[in-house]
Amino acid sequence: MDSGRIRFFLSEVRRNFARNLIMQLTAIGTVTVTIVLLGGFLFTRQTLGAIGGNVIEKIEISVFLRSDATTAQAKRLQATLEHDPRVRSVEYVPKAEGLREMRDRLRGQIDTSLLTSNPLPDALRIRVVDPARARDVATFAAKQPLVDKVEYAQDAVEKLLRVFDVLGRVGLGVIALLVFTAAIIISNTIRLTVFARRREIAIMQLVGASGLYIRMPFICEGFIDGFAGAAIAIAVLAIARAELWPKLVVALSFLPLHAAAIDGPMFGLQLLGVGSAVGIVASWLSVGRYLRT
Amino acid sequence: MISLRGVSLVYPNGTRALDAIDLEIAKGSFVFLVGHSGTGKSSLLRLLYREQVPTRGEVTVDATRVDKLRRSKVALLRRNVGVVFQDFKLLGDKTVWENVAFALQVTGARTKDVMRQVPRVLDLVGLAHKSRMFPSELSGGEQQRTAIARALVNNPKILLCDEPTGNLDPSNTNEVMDLLHRINLKGTTVLIATHNAIVVDRMRRRVIRLENGKIVADEERGYYLAAGGDRGTAAAEELELVRSRNGLGTNPLFSE
Repeated sequence: MDSGRIRFFLSEVRRNFARNLIMQLTAIGTVTVTIVLLGGFLFTRQTLGAIGGNVIEKIEISVFLRSDATTAQAKRLQATLEHDPRVRSVEYVPKAEGLREMRDRLRGQIDTSLLTSNPLPDALRIRVVDPARARDVATFAAKQPLVDKVEYAQDAVEKLLRVFDVLGRVGLGVIALLVFTAAIIISNTIRLTVFARRREIAIMQLVGASGLYIRMPFICEGFIDGFAGAAIAIAVLAIARAELWPKLVVALSFLPLHAAAIDGPMFGLQLLGVGSAVGIVASWLSVGRYLRT
Repeated sequence: MISLRGVSLVYPNGTRALDAIDLEIAKGSFVFLVGHSGTGKSSLLRLLYREQVPTRGEVTVDATRVDKLRRSKVALLRRNVGVVFQDFKLLGDKTVWENVAFALQVTGARTKDVMRQVPRVLDLVGLAHKSRMFPSELSGGEQQRTAIARALVNNPKILLCDEPTGNLDPSNTNEVMDLLHRINLKGTTVLIATHNAIVVDRMRRRVIRLENGKIVADEERGYYLAAGGDRGTAAAEELELVRSRNGLGTNPLFSE
């Protein structure tokens, strides 16, 4: 490609673009909206996931020992459980320690000085590697000798896991729908340009331009629509993040939002890739349909 | 150079445009294809640049079986076959130069070649001095010469003209026919579909007459109507038709 050929090609792309400016802006706007929604959605999902993960990670299985269990026996059981690959950590909580914790927790609500003796048994607190397998670990712990009772937030864990699963599926559906809409609108825009340029196309075909050569300016146009739309969307998202996010972290300080760190540049590149790909594919399809003679 | 064997063309609506055509056109010849509107002249031309595929038969252009050409090869065929139409098909937003250069640029030609070829053909058609004008600023004859320049810029071996003078007045018609004649003298095979009797009778070249999709006459140095027919009357009628269409009285240019 010498510079003259590149200049000719670019002038063809520019002509295409200028001919349907309003429609091009519509297409770019649609991509922008789609990518903003997509980005916002992915970000929310990631944040919720991180928060959820944070909560689930903190879930503990409490193993209460029989009152006749000795400290040595409790330590032996702790060692056994620690060897289990599903278990992250096991903490031994003697009953004196348990009582102190309970007093701290209930301070000001109940007058714990009324307690004349310690009603609590010795306990082990287990944290698991994979929350989905908490039930297995709990069942296993319950079968050990000297174990009186096992408690953990079984329902909470399982519900939370189910919510994330559903959220993921719905998310995929919404994303697919958004991308599809953007593709349709870009495709329509390109079709309008193709229609507006049908005379040129007819002449190109007449004088022996190759199919690829005829397509290229339109593919470029679709790419520009997708790329520009995504770029604007990323700018919108970046501004929103810079302006709103710190306020949100403060406002929702009870949630561990700091856990939801996201790789901004990488995320932006991915969105840019999605936008461009949608533009290219949509224009390729719509030009192809028109040129098949 | 051009060969049709047993070629028939039936359109999807059942119209039989061409019916068992056999035809040979030698390299470097100058041939008129005549007949009334709707007798298959344009359809025949369209087969040669693969705008249409025959329903039956073989179409060979420059040793290539055009009827069996794959879609990806059609572009290459068309660089070898220039086509000119009655309505010029120029791009109104491009200058004469750009219209001609367009044909080279869209085939991916190098700038060097564009800069060499475009002045050459503009010179040939006598429009070098108007290369920066837009089609709307030109006469009909000049527009058609621009279209011819565009058709020639890829150096095709064959030039197909579908009613090239149909929209032109007599003086522009002469201008364009002289140009086509000169192009033929340089070795390009020229095939002209027309129903302009005056042009045909003045040139006295090979005339192939189509009627209802069939070749009914094929003569070297022929007339618009085959010899032996009621030529005088028909030619006079045609002349009258042309004059009334162009709003002209007796034109001295056409009184032979």
